[in-house]
Amino acid sequence: MSEAPTPPEEMRFSDALAELESIVSALEGGQLELEESLGRYERGVALLRACQGRLVEAEQRVTMLMGEIESDDTSDDA
Amino acid sequence: MPEAPRALSVTEAMTLAKRTLEGLPVRVIGEVSECTDRAGYKAVYFTLSDGSSTMSCLMWRDAFDASGVILRNGLLVEVSGSLTVYAAKGRMQFQVRGLEAAGEGVLRMQVAALARRLELEGLMRPERRRRLPEYPETIALVTSPRGKAVHDVIRTLRRRYPLAELLIAGVTVEGAGAAPAIVEGLRAAGESGADVVILARGGGSYEDLMPFNDEAVVRAIVGCPVPVVTGIGHEPDTSLADMVADVRASTPTAAAETVAPARDEVSARLTSSRRLLGRALLLTVRRDRHRVAVARAHAVFRDPAELTSSFSQRLDGAAAGLVRALPDVVGRDRSRLALAAGRLGPAQKRILDDAVTSFRHAAARLEDLSPLGILARGYAVCYEADGTSVVRSTTQLTPGDEVVVRLHHGSAGCVVRTIDEEKAGQS
Repeated sequence: MSEAPTPPEEMRFSDALAELESIVSALEGGQLELEESLGRYERGVALLRACQGRLVEAEQRVTMLMGEIESDDTSDDA
Repeated sequence: MPEAPRALSVTEAMTLAKRTLEGLPVRVIGEVSECTDRAGYKAVYFTLSDGSSTMSCLMWRDAFDASGVILRNGLLVEVSGSLTVYAAKGRMQFQVRGLEAAGEGVLRMQVAALARRLELEGLMRPERRRRLPEYPETIALVTSPRGKAVHDVIRTLRRRYPLAELLIAGVTVEGAGAAPAIVEGLRAAGESGADVVILARGGGSYEDLMPFNDEAVVRAIVGCPVPVVTGIGHEPDTSLADMVADVRASTPTAAAETVAPARDEVSARLTSSRRLLGRALLLTVRRDRHRVAVARAHAVFRDPAELTSSFSQRLDGAAAGLVRALPDVVGRDRSRLALAAGRLGPAQKRILDDAVTSFRHAAARLEDLSPLGILARGYAVCYEADGTSVVRSTTQLTPGDEVVVRLHHGSAGCVVRTIDEEKAGQS
């Protein structure tokens, strides 16, 4: 945590979420000095923003490993 | 010379054949084709074949309905009854009295035997099951590229969790080549770097399910480097693939719902994190602000003059009293009085100044020496059980004694366990 943290955009979604939640519990623990609390809070907000952004903008990517998909004639998509 | 048999009429010949055949009970296994089951007909007609011969069958409706078998082309059945002859057309027929599906019973027995073997090997133990990743980055799907299942999974994941990339291995899931194809699909999925694999198939008959009871498929699931979720729509049948999977879902859609959370759930979790984050910081700031306020309210930071003011007032009062008393004491010598009063003025000021200075020193030292200040630095005071007498030496204690330990914040009741005699008496 003392080294420069990975920018949230470059992290796996699950890692970003896990770090965010560990920051929340560290802050809730109330053992941190004010300076460090502020630093963690800023990091938490950055992680939060990145996660939310990805959640909203995510578009499904589908790749074929084998075979070809036939079109969906039973589609009931809205 | 044996007598040549008498020539029979056609009817006599057919009757002879009929009587001979009908006396022989027979059981036959064959595959159904050309099934005719029309409402209003007294009997159901179908043909059995084994690839090289065919046999016409007839079964009376009552017996057929009682058997509960639903005939369809290709179904393997076992029939019991006897051969007979339909004299009017000169045709041989099999009159069916008992009918049951043959293939499935045999298959079920084979599958059950394999299941027992795999169970003995420990492949179905619950502790073998791996936990699914909570937020998968990549999900692999092994299923038929045709039909509903593949689209059910794609649609469900697109709606619920589009964050994950979906890799699809489209393989044959029915017929002779299905098992090796599924094994190959699972291998490709396992090597693709996916975090979790879905093995899916839409609903079908027990026979359709057979590739998912194949030992090679079962071992491919067990050997997959990442967790496998099955979504094979064959309720109430459970395939061996289901039994060794890390998670078994009932349908392809349910499997897709199992491997990833819903976007809304994740969103709600983020919202709650945001709220907690803000609140936690606010609490930290409030706590520190309170600490500053407490320190600021401390006596040493208040106006020192206020500390000495009551002393100054007493001095002033004493001086005034002294002046009032003077006429009674030295009333006759007014000049001496005037002189004395004149000298008292500067003296009073000097006395007061000295007193204020030394009082300030004393007040400052008092802060340093306050037991509360010492406690705040991490020291503790040990009292006897009554909470008033301070324990200064182990000679005051014996193991089992109860003592009260006063800390900076609060105090704790403690029991003496051991006493180190060597240090007794030292300070």
